[in-house]
Amino acid sequence: MRLTALLSMAAKAAFPKDYRYGTNRPWTIAAKRLNPPGKKRRKVFVEPIPYADWSVFKGDTVEILSGKDKGKQGKVAQVFRHRNWVILEGLNTHFRYIGKTADYRGTYIASEAPLLLRDISLIDPTDRKPTEVEWRFTEEGEKVRVSLRTGRIVPKPVFQRRDGIVTQQWKDGPKDTSPEDTLQKTYTPSLKTLEEEAMEKLGIEEPRRSRRSFWY
Amino acid sequence: MAATSVGRVLTLCRQFQNAFRISKTLPCQHTAVALPTFRPFTHRLPSPGLSLRFNLDCAVQCRALHTTISKRGLDEFFDIPENWGEATVKSGAPWTAKQLRTKSNEDLHKLWYVLLKERNMLLTIEQESRRQCLSMPSPERLKKVERSMKRLDTVVKEREDALRLLQTGQERARPGAWRKDVFGRVYWYRFREHPIPWYMNRRYKRKRFYTPGFVTPYIRLRLEKYLRARSRKQKTESENQAVLREKFPQVKAKS
Repeated sequence: MRLTALLSMAAKAAFPKDYRYGTNRPWTIAAKRLNPPGKKRRKVFVEPIPYADWSVFKGDTVEILSGKDKGKQGKVAQVFRHRNWVILEGLNTHFRYIGKTADYRGTYIASEAPLLLRDISLIDPTDRKPTEVEWRFTEEGEKVRVSLRTGRIVPKPVFQRRDGIVTQQWKDGPKDTSPEDTLQKTYTPSLKTLEEEAMEKLGIEEPRRSRRSFWY
Repeated sequence: MAATSVGRVLTLCRQFQNAFRISKTLPCQHTAVALPTFRPFTHRLPSPGLSLRFNLDCAVQCRALHTTISKRGLDEFFDIPENWGEATVKSGAPWTAKQLRTKSNEDLHKLWYVLLKERNMLLTIEQESRRQCLSMPSPERLKKVERSMKRLDTVVKEREDALRLLQTGQERARPGAWRKDVFGRVYWYRFREHPIPWYMNRRYKRKRFYTPGFVTPYIRLRLEKYLRARSRKQKTESENQAVLREKFPQVKAKS
């Protein structure tokens, strides 16, 4: 098979048009069980929220505005942007059995159900009451969330990278380049390519000339 | 016959002799790339004694091959001993293209080999953990290194492009042309380098870069199919937007 055909096959999304995103990642077995091929389900309309306007992140403290745990405050454990969902730690739970087999009834656990973004609200840090927020810029040009009720800044939660590293707390290891060396500017534009410069630097001379060739 | 073969052997010998002489006159040029800024491992820095020994071995056979002399030898394919048996090894962030754009070509050249060695080391770990049926400790390191190498490559390509545009005005590194295939589709044909001109190339002349006349009605049909698919897509999209506007009247729907 030609490489281009292979690449185009790999690039094509495997999801059908009416795929319903859930709490499981689409390639997991659980998600495949919920979305078997050929299954027709009612379309879910998700409120379009521009990516830059999204204001609730993992680690935020929010209050629930409706439902079973109305009025309770909790920490955001997971965010699902495909469905405008948020899961709070230990709130809005139901009980279910997991790991059920023929001779074992399974373990009874509490599992959190997702909450819609409209059913929760961020908390103003000054009075710990729910508030609407808006993205604004500070004098330093930093983008911050501002509470519309009191005008205070709602601080962003500490961001943990996917490999479990918090950038602010990172200390350089033996294999890291120091920040000064990283940000040092050493580039001076010249009329030479990298190869030519490297050859000149290493004293490599190439007296051979390539044969005449034809491009078509 | 015999005379010519003897002559050939003689010329060969002379070439070998020349190669040997040149390699002797270039004593220590191809030794190590010293790393002024990117210094990932203090214990991996080249030592002069080792480099000399290695050079003597190598100079006879491979004059053009440039090698970095290492202190640890084959151990460089393995992680540093402090990380042995660890489940997770913490690592920093990959290089961003923005950072790499401020670096000189020389620095990029050195950094490439630092990254390459690191990648070789990580691939060794990956292979070894696969052999032992274990999970690799911190597999994201491999991705970080590969990402850095890819970004470095883009930066180098950007510089090449800029230089080519300035000097020749050519936008692409590889020339090409818009051509038609037998089905009437227009596509970008990338030229290839050939040792002979096209009119002597029988295999090239067998290729068909034209559209036969009887294909013309099907071109029209294909165009029609494309237009219908497009209008259908637009219609579904506008219907979707209408439902969204009805369901969420407070938000401004995407225009």
